[in-house]
Amino acid sequence: MTGENSDRDFVDRALRQLPHATPSSGFEAALLAGYDAWKAERKKGPWAAIKAGLRRFSETIWPGAPLWVPASALAVALLVGAGVGAALPAAGEQSGFSLEQPGSFTLFASDMTLEEDL
Amino acid sequence: MHDPDADDVAKAGQGDRAAAARLIGRHAPKLLTVARRMLGAQAEAEDAVQEVFLRLWTHAARWQPGKAKFETWLYRVMLNQCYDRLRRRPAAPLEAADDVADGAALPDAGLDEGKLGQEIGRALDELPERQKAAILLCHFRELGNIEAAEIMGISVEALESLLARGRRSLRARLEHLKGFVGDG
Repeated sequence: MTGENSDRDFVDRALRQLPHATPSSGFEAALLAGYDAWKAERKKGPWAAIKAGLRRFSETIWPGAPLWVPASALAVALLVGAGVGAALPAAGEQSGFSLEQPGSFTLFASDMTLEEDL
Repeated sequence: MHDPDADDVAKAGQGDRAAAARLIGRHAPKLLTVARRMLGAQAEAEDAVQEVFLRLWTHAARWQPGKAKFETWLYRVMLNQCYDRLRRRPAAPLEAADDVADGAALPDAGLDEGKLGQEIGRALDELPERQKAAILLCHFRELGNIEAAEIMGISVEALESLLARGRRSLRARLEHLKGFVGDG
């Protein structure tokens, strides 16, 4: 018998000694209850499904919090982002830096002067 | 090849409770056995299997027979659930390393069936998760290498390599129990 076959036989015999995993009482009933809950959710229409999805998502990013907490955090983050975004061009204009005028931006000016000297 | 579950999946997706019950009866016990061995804890394994079935119900209505075998998909979802749960676990404290099975230190005499099962379970838990998954799928589900590889999303060669390394490692960890496990 090769080493691999002998390992396989040994492991198979060993795993047969493991106690069987017996489901707790009511386990299959709980699974069916999950099915019933899904069906009831589905009957409520697409909005209920979206809400349930949002609830699951919020549970992932902010476990234990009601739905409005992550929703508010997201709204505040959006407002801050929009505010900063609106304010940025004004700041750019004040410093004389404009994305619309790339020609005025001469990063390699000194290198070019060097090349001309050579 | 006809998928024996395809009809029930389609019916469950349309709201047929009896079809859902048949799917549960057919697959839940086997899924639980593998999840229990992957996770080591009964309650967590039951939670994982519940999560798998919730995923199943939400996908059942959109299930397209012929794309993949239903059972393969089901076990893949279950394995991913187990991997997620294992990764979310906090790292074991260093003191726990003292509990690691050490062949020389274990009393071989008087090892009853329960203790033997515990020792084997512990040795199994010490394997890297993918080696453990490969061994469990092939042993408890009695799957062929092709199907097990498909569930794990790897090539058959990679699965065979995982199996060989896992079995060798497990045997080395259980060598001191050779007399109880049997020489074959």
